[in-house]
Amino acid sequence: MSGCENAVEYVYQYIDGELTMTRRARVRWHLRRCGNCIDAYSFETELKARVAKAGREAPSEEFLSTLRALIEEEKARPGA
Amino acid sequence: MADQATFEEDAMEFAPQLYSAALRMTRNPSDAEDVVQETYLKAYRGYGSFTAGTNLKAWLYRILTNTYINKYRKAQRRPNEVELGELQDMYLYKRLGEHSGATESAETTALDMFVDEDIVEAIESLPEAFRMPVLYADVEGFSYKEIAEILDVPIGTVMSRLHRGRKALQKKLWNVAVERGLVEPKE
Repeated sequence: MSGCENAVEYVYQYIDGELTMTRRARVRWHLRRCGNCIDAYSFETELKARVAKAGREAPSEEFLSTLRALIEEEKARPGA
Repeated sequence: MADQATFEEDAMEFAPQLYSAALRMTRNPSDAEDVVQETYLKAYRGYGSFTAGTNLKAWLYRILTNTYINKYRKAQRRPNEVELGELQDMYLYKRLGEHSGATESAETTALDMFVDEDIVEAIESLPEAFRMPVLYADVEGFSYKEIAEILDVPIGTVMSRLHRGRKALQKKLWNVAVERGLVEPKE
């Protein structure tokens, strides 16, 4: 289907919210008509969300306290 | 100019995010803690040069990135980094699509076969020049312009590294799926 090439080219800029309004509208227009591209876009969007979720890992509370203490120490340093 | 007295109040809220980025870069909790501590000390000392009201999060990430690079640039390239050859766009989607036997339904999607550890492994397998843009865009939600400023490279470079990094990440996930017998590669 025409427009697929364009949709594939801009998939990341689209899901990253980096397309200009005109280009975005053009992609949306195509997506309303092309099931294949909708599937591909959903897949890429979901993968981005999975990477975001898996990529996060919280530090320990203990580390955050150490970090605060370190800054306090630095503040108290003469001449700092 | 930003006031050092408000540094903790302003900057501490970003510490957990900076830690998780550092962890994905160093692949090791104690190295990640070292990088974040050094980042915060540098940021505190240099806070006078930060313009209050501008993008503090991006400023902190820039210090974090430089700290990481200075500390680990000379470190040996680790094994298990994925090959960055020429890959098809939407690599994983297309590979998975060739497997019509995939267990997809309305409730589950092809990506459900991967656990978070697989995705972490795939992120960590990326060479650092590609890992950073992927982390900064996908995990931290930075714009291309912000990533360009953090990494000090042109926006076009950010876009091409992000594109190649994502394809390589997808290739790694595909390899994981094949190794684990979740899919059978077509001849």
